[in-house]
Amino acid sequence: MIGDVVIAGGAMTPFNRRKDGSSFRDWARAAALSALEDAGLEAADIDALVVASESDFFTMQLNPAALLADECGLTGVAAKRVEGGGASGHLAVHAGLAEVASGMARRVMVLGVEPSASHLKGVDVGALYGLSFDAWSDGMTGIDSTSLYALSVQGFMARTGASLEDFAEIAVRNRANARENSNAHLPLDITLKDVADSPVVASPYRRLDCSPLSDGAAAIILARDEDLPTLGRSRARFRAASSAVDTVRLGERADPSFFAGKHRAAQKAYAMAGLTAADIQLAEVYDSYSGAQLQALEALGLAARPELPVNLSGGLLGQGAPVGATGVAQVLAAALQLEGRYFGKRAQNAPRFALVDTHGGIATLNAVSILEAV
Amino acid sequence: MKHQINLDYTIPVGDLAPYFEALQRGDALARKCKGCGRVSFPARSQCADCNGAEMQWHPLIGTARILFRTDGAGGSFALVQFDGADTRSTVALSNAAQTSDFGALVKAPDGGNGIWLDLTSHDARNDDVR
Repeated sequence: MIGDVVIAGGAMTPFNRRKDGSSFRDWARAAALSALEDAGLEAADIDALVVASESDFFTMQLNPAALLADECGLTGVAAKRVEGGGASGHLAVHAGLAEVASGMARRVMVLGVEPSASHLKGVDVGALYGLSFDAWSDGMTGIDSTSLYALSVQGFMARTGASLEDFAEIAVRNRANARENSNAHLPLDITLKDVADSPVVASPYRRLDCSPLSDGAAAIILARDEDLPTLGRSRARFRAASSAVDTVRLGERADPSFFAGKHRAAQKAYAMAGLTAADIQLAEVYDSYSGAQLQALEALGLAARPELPVNLSGGLLGQGAPVGATGVAQVLAAALQLEGRYFGKRAQNAPRFALVDTHGGIATLNAVSILEAV
Repeated sequence: MKHQINLDYTIPVGDLAPYFEALQRGDALARKCKGCGRVSFPARSQCADCNGAEMQWHPLIGTARILFRTDGAGGSFALVQFDGADTRSTVALSNAAQTSDFGALVKAPDGGNGIWLDLTSHDARNDDVR
């Protein structure tokens, strides 16, 4: 059962643009070893590895699961790689969760990594991201990720009355949250005017409305209580995990401004957990763009909850976005919040239920998890 | 360490070949579901509405109305509704300085791919009947 599985431990490296000559193998190894230490386990205790990495174009490494098992001293384990665009890390968590819940494995390491910043020029990364949508139509027309999100959010503005200032408030708040997160890429002290004065990337989005390209890694260990040292009994556990896709082409959606696939994934998660949106007390949501956070909260049923702590980690806007590691780090942040040992900004009131939301494409492939404090 | 790979893809497009060949000519060739009648542009192999697999080719006149538009360093793009299509399309704008809400399909520049729209100074969609 999913509810038997706990996040036994986890760790992440700083998310940023590496300028120190370190490699993605170094970051992956550092996250993996720290996660093992946090769980009170050794490499020999792990019997399966699930690696998340969005693209071989970024790593220049095919078959990365085998390589990283080797690099992390996990020789002999079952290993696989999971990919789902921006949702790769979160989907890898779901794959590891399924392995433990089904009994296929007792202790699974989920390891996300991506050199999204340091390996390629930004324009080349942008061209590759354009293939995250329908490569034969959008991608080969040259439409980039920011432009597609910009088209979608204009519909959201027209439908809901959301303003550019609403978006800027998120850009400012998430960067402020990131200032308490020592692993964050953009811990910025900025104002609404700074956002409004930043260069246009794709109207209405400006540079400070956009999440950065980041390097980094994150790892978590999944297991049942009985397969862990005693500290496992204090760890956060899964209450639900779900996924849903939407139509790939924005123009074919009934409402291009509404994240219907995310809504479907959230409804499935709430049903699985036996909860409603009103029960969620903390959320880490996929804010690839400032307006996308509002679109996500709407789809998750959390838009009418201004008091809800959202993206205390800084989110993608503040903490950063090394794609394969992003979803793993989101789950880690939510788990540590529930356990009262988060290293960044903590919720004022100890939450019992936390929601994690990640997507690939433009909310095309969506992953939602609900975690529960012990 | 520096490393470079140049990749030159040849991508067969299967049963959508007529659609891509039409785009290369500057023509809009949609697909219409024989089951529910939905007209999809870009063309699809299977209907996204009823999942019908029986599709027939359906030429459009190639004119479109802009719903939303974005401009930036990477170019100008729009979400548009082609006349005669039931789906919307994302397109690149070939003459971004123009501010019209109407346009017509043109060939991708430099032998490229994708759907490109040339904005027109007026709504030319009904010129034939004026």
